[in-house]
Amino acid sequence: MRATRRLTVAAIAATTALTLSACLASPDEGNTQDGGSAGPDDPIVIGVSLPLTGDFAEPGKGVQRGYEAWAAHVNANGGLLGRQVELIIVDDQSNADRVASDYERLINQDGVDLVFGPFSTRLVVPAAQVAQDYGFLFVEPAGAAAEVFEQGFDNLFYAAPAIADDHYDHLAEYVLALPEDERPKTVAVASMDDPFAQGTAYGLRDKLADAGIEVVEDEVYPPNTTDFSGIAAKIADSDADLLIVGSQYQDGVNLVVALQQQGYQPDMAAISGAPTNAEFPAAIGDKTEGILAPTGYTPTAPYPSNEEFVEAYTAEHGTPPAEDEANAWTTGQVVAAAVEAVGCADPSPECQQQLVDWLHENEVETVVGTLSWDAQGRPQSAHLIQQYVDGEITIVLPEDVKEADIIHPKPEW
Amino acid sequence: MTGALFAQSLVLGILLGGLYALLAAGLTLYFGVMRVVMIAHSAFLILAAYLAWFFHERSGLDPLLSLVITVPLFFVVGYGMQRFLVSRLRPISLTTMSVLLTFAVALTIEGLLGFVWTGTQRRVQLPYSGTSLEVFGVSIAVVKLIAFALAALSLGALYLILRKTSFGRALRATTQHPEAARLVGIDTDRVAGLGFGLGLATAAIGGTALALDYTIYPSLHWHWIGPLMAIIVVGGLGSIPGAAIAAMLLGVAASLLQVPLGTTWAQTVFYLALFVTLMIRPQGFFGGRLAQRF
Amino acid sequence: MPNASSPTGAARPAASSPTGARPTAVRVARTAGLLALVAVVLLFPSLAADPFILSVGVVILSYAVLATSWNLVGGFTGYISLGHAAYSGLGGYATALLILRTGMNPWLALLAGGLIVAAVAIPVGIASLRVRGASFVITSIALVLILQLTFQSWHTFTGGSNGLRVPRPFGTEVLRPEQHERFFYLHAGLLALALLTWWLIERSRLGAGLKAIREDEDKAQALGVPTFAYKLTALVVSAFFTALGGGLYALWFGYLDPIFQFSILVGTYMVLMSLLGGVRSLFGPLLGAVVVGYAVEVFKSQYGDTQLHLVATGVLLGLVVLFMPDGVIPALTSFVNRRRGAASIREVSAEELAQQREEAAR
Repeated sequence: MRATRRLTVAAIAATTALTLSACLASPDEGNTQDGGSAGPDDPIVIGVSLPLTGDFAEPGKGVQRGYEAWAAHVNANGGLLGRQVELIIVDDQSNADRVASDYERLINQDGVDLVFGPFSTRLVVPAAQVAQDYGFLFVEPAGAAAEVFEQGFDNLFYAAPAIADDHYDHLAEYVLALPEDERPKTVAVASMDDPFAQGTAYGLRDKLADAGIEVVEDEVYPPNTTDFSGIAAKIADSDADLLIVGSQYQDGVNLVVALQQQGYQPDMAAISGAPTNAEFPAAIGDKTEGILAPTGYTPTAPYPSNEEFVEAYTAEHGTPPAEDEANAWTTGQVVAAAVEAVGCADPSPECQQQLVDWLHENEVETVVGTLSWDAQGRPQSAHLIQQYVDGEITIVLPEDVKEADIIHPKPEW
Repeated sequence: MTGALFAQSLVLGILLGGLYALLAAGLTLYFGVMRVVMIAHSAFLILAAYLAWFFHERSGLDPLLSLVITVPLFFVVGYGMQRFLVSRLRPISLTTMSVLLTFAVALTIEGLLGFVWTGTQRRVQLPYSGTSLEVFGVSIAVVKLIAFALAALSLGALYLILRKTSFGRALRATTQHPEAARLVGIDTDRVAGLGFGLGLATAAIGGTALALDYTIYPSLHWHWIGPLMAIIVVGGLGSIPGAAIAAMLLGVAASLLQVPLGTTWAQTVFYLALFVTLMIRPQGFFGGRLAQRF
Repeated sequence: MPNASSPTGAARPAASSPTGARPTAVRVARTAGLLALVAVVLLFPSLAADPFILSVGVVILSYAVLATSWNLVGGFTGYISLGHAAYSGLGGYATALLILRTGMNPWLALLAGGLIVAAVAIPVGIASLRVRGASFVITSIALVLILQLTFQSWHTFTGGSNGLRVPRPFGTEVLRPEQHERFFYLHAGLLALALLTWWLIERSRLGAGLKAIREDEDKAQALGVPTFAYKLTALVVSAFFTALGGGLYALWFGYLDPIFQFSILVGTYMVLMSLLGGVRSLFGPLLGAVVVGYAVEVFKSQYGDTQLHLVATGVLLGLVVLFMPDGVIPALTSFVNRRRGAASIREVSAEELAQQREEAAR
């Protein structure tokens, strides 16, 4: 009977809907009531959503290690405002719909006192929207693309030295200061279609193009590209003096291998992303000599809190921290500085607004140097430039912190 | 476009087209014997690539040697998949339901690959990865040449099996007219199972070839199944020579178009070819009458 | 429009009871069931303990809209589209771009977006519906892949990989929980509209023709059903509602990214929900959406850190296809009916008839 069947379906749908609302409400009942009324002995609960699976899982896990190391370090040293810190980290599967729903849940159901940002530009914008709507301070470790800061968020701060477009500032200065006969005449650009990778690569490209260096090849490839031989053929054919690559990790490796297959030898190769990864030299068979890369962090940086960080992290993990871990730690430092200065850490809009206001007006000393922000949350420093010198990745720019002299032109790979 | 760049792109297109041809041949084979659109074909391709990578990581031997294991393994899996999964579906809705079933298999493989080996991109690192041969000013990477040779040999072997053996004749008969084939005493169920195994074996070979020069990650199969499905429609569903010709033509076209259009837009040539084919010649350009009804 | 009053319209007594037996009892039962459903939907926002649960409710209703819209072509014709995310994604982008580029009123943009997508579906339908199932499925997947590629790279127009922020239709003075509530009712209204459309088509000549196509396309054609025109109509109507669903979701969520808009997985969920709930029944996809939407949440909180959710989706889809191709609900009800020994005439598919004949012959 069709009618009865329909009725059954409707009834089942109705009951399921009711059970659904009941079930979803039950698991964290305890947390919803305490809202802003936490006592002095309760831990400060910090909610984070990170891509622990999916496309951004690798850097996401790095950020997770950084956050956890930071929390452990803070707790071992008396906590924040005398309270212990507790992290709730959930997985957003590298999915924008999920990341928004995660922060919705952390704020409303888990009743967190503070939130930290997720990884990747693509996830930062939807997450920042939720935080903004609930009046939360939103400090994020990875969302460097220029577009992030053009969305009108006034609660957002990027916890790193510079936004993507400014990563190569020191290198651009160096290239433009070269004597006429050593200065590259032509440049070839290839970048992954990703706001961050393009931001870094195009920042350098535009500065050089403005100074009259000719852009002879400009390639964009989708994130899922696996065959780089066509792009490599075009770059090799252009025979540009300077190569700029905006990569994530594996795409940078693939492109370098494809360029080697085509026998292309640039005088200078500036590759963002891949080279700062510890596995890079092994992946391209030790033909790294002379490759340049910007980095926001290095374990050897001489900033006061950095030694503490490297020591604490290395003690726990056995290896020194990388950039993702450092950015997460920096996020913790930035929020902690605001919390200690303002003296509150609760979800009330008043407290959160005080934290936001404090960060707009003050500088924070971190493991990546002293940070300050403009009204849209852009940090006001620049990245270090590293180069593979004698097989080791070494700081070569700027002059005042360099560990070795820059090699130019680059040896053949 | 300079002459050298044209020649280089042409060669790259032919090398890529060879791999596409082998994989599309497998995909169209399933359709021929079973009227099944095997969405999981490229998921098995990536699985084979992962097995080759894993084999290389663990043993340190050349990933090509993993073929000794994966080809028979995939043949058996393919046979089993046809006999125990696909044949359970009702004949009347077989084509659509098999799409869903193989789609489910593809999702499962992708999820398991991500579970076991994480989403990290993997690449086989060989001493000869960056090596290439110079022929008339065109550089040909050794790994690409090996992959192409592997694809060409397998395609040749597939052709010989289908043309020269009695199993091949039975399989072609099953493709052309299953009822008639049954009437002359061919065990069409068994033949379909073996055909499925043969198709999956091409995925094992293609996957190993892929692992030589490409980075692999679990969701990579979506990147392959789109072009492959377009190729078999353009070539005519069920037609192996059609699939091979279409693969070669579209592979070369994509490679050449990449020069003026860039990587992203060059990819769309496969889908444009698919839509154009369906608009003006739905049975495909090189296929027989089979495709007309599907 | 922003309330769920339309489903009650579906309960209006029509000359529709297929059996003619016990008309009053059936009518009363049906009305009661529908009223209960409407009441649950209307009361949900006030029952939800916090805004997060309400936001999950919006997501599930959005799934329900998409699955019901998918069923307008999938259920009626039996043509399985794995790429309906193409239409929802296009709907989202069309709505957002109309607002951003022309300054159009958001609700007008939503409607216009739906119409544009319906127009896009016409050539796609012409290309893929002239031949049978296989090409349709292949085209549907290809469409998602090609749209993902083009929307990702066409930076100047779509915002490309930077994503696209969609302006809020309600001002900033409307707080987020209030936004959730309004969009919950808006989605409920759209769902009611989609259900009503399904109900109306089912009772029309078009519906009879479409079901004939589903059971045996050759015979339908021989009997003079204009199969191609009917299939195309179903696809266009389905694309229209899917686009509205995508557009409404975009207005609520406020952010579009080509990778997530044109995703194979979203299309898969629509199919899975419809199949699970039953493609032949009006409320099947709705039920499927509630079950799958809830399962996704639970699965995530239980096994969030692994890729097992893909495996679970895959295995579930495989099991449904192998063992319950008509859906779980029909499988359950036919089981119950058999137990009761009900002998009333019901919709029987050609496959089922063939099966019965086979069983009888043994």
